[in-house]
Amino acid sequence: MSLEETMSVEETVKKIATRILRKSEADYASAASFKDLGADSLDIVQILVAVEDTYDIELEDEELQNITSMKDFVAYIERKVTDKQ
Amino acid sequence: MGNENILKGKVALITGGSRGIGRAITLRLADEGADVIINFFRKKSTAAQTAGEARARGVNAHTIKANVGEEEQIDSMFREIEEKFGKLDILINNAASGVPRSAMDLDSRGWDWTMDINARAFLLCAQRASRLMKNGGRMVTISSLGSRLVWPIYTAVGVSKAALEALTRYLAVELAPQGIRVNGIAAGAVASEALKLYAPDRDLPQLSWQSTPAGRMVQPEDIADLVAFLCGEQSAMIRGQVIVIDGGMSLAPIGTDFSQQDGGEVDRS
Repeated sequence: MSLEETMSVEETVKKIATRILRKSEADYASAASFKDLGADSLDIVQILVAVEDTYDIELEDEELQNITSMKDFVAYIERKVTDKQ
Repeated sequence: MGNENILKGKVALITGGSRGIGRAITLRLADEGADVIINFFRKKSTAAQTAGEARARGVNAHTIKANVGEEEQIDSMFREIEEKFGKLDILINNAASGVPRSAMDLDSRGWDWTMDINARAFLLCAQRASRLMKNGGRMVTISSLGSRLVWPIYTAVGVSKAALEALTRYLAVELAPQGIRVNGIAAGAVASEALKLYAPDRDLPQLSWQSTPAGRMVQPEDIADLVAFLCGEQSAMIRGQVIVIDGGMSLAPIGTDFSQQDGGEVDRS
């Protein structure tokens, strides 16, 4: 079992986002969206790919268009992971 | 659909081969009898669906996930190809990405991302593919008119495609002694999902066909047909060329409306 599989989705997303964006956990905690963390479109693609690879899921670009906050993003990933099981 | 299976027994790798233009090429090569290796970046289910459509045409189809902007992922992809097929006959360099920004707004990350996927990937794939093309081969690069014409936010992609076209010429000469033919295709605006990235204006498809002498937009299947021709024997003496396929759009001034060509009165003076 990988480290990510023992972590909550929220913890995993935080770990991925802080690594790709080179931000601290404190930065992450104070931000409501990836945009608040200074993420550009390339960062977002890299985060999406890392999340997809971690959970072996496919995220739909059309559905992601309506998601602006990290809280909603985490909830969306949780739904995808649940649907897969 | 091909009737003679001109590519039967050949193995073809199509980068970005699961959807859009890549999917059309994959299925066209399958129609001609080639076994197809479909490289994809994110959408495993889409790649699996395209592979299923290829298998329905009586060929083997295999999918490989790899971001061709990453050298180690290209290495891994070609190791898998060598293990499963032991050879490669056709490389279609189709995968593309890009940051839609003007030159003044483009940062080095966006530049590198675009160049790595659109131009450097062909160099790295061609180096590895040529080692698997023991009995000669074909390489076809999918470029864009943006390599020579200017669109507002197409800077990075346009420049990367210009590099891709130059590399096509260099490799055509360098690989000719190995019996490897290298050519490219530069498409105009193609009716595909990718077009929406650079043309958010929903009216563009209509404007595009109106300004195209051929009277319609280029479809992915048009490009696939040309790829099949460049992979066949009838194009043996075409080397290092980048063939424009745009229905004549680039020949006419932008904004020319060809849908209103009703002839009018004959000048009898």
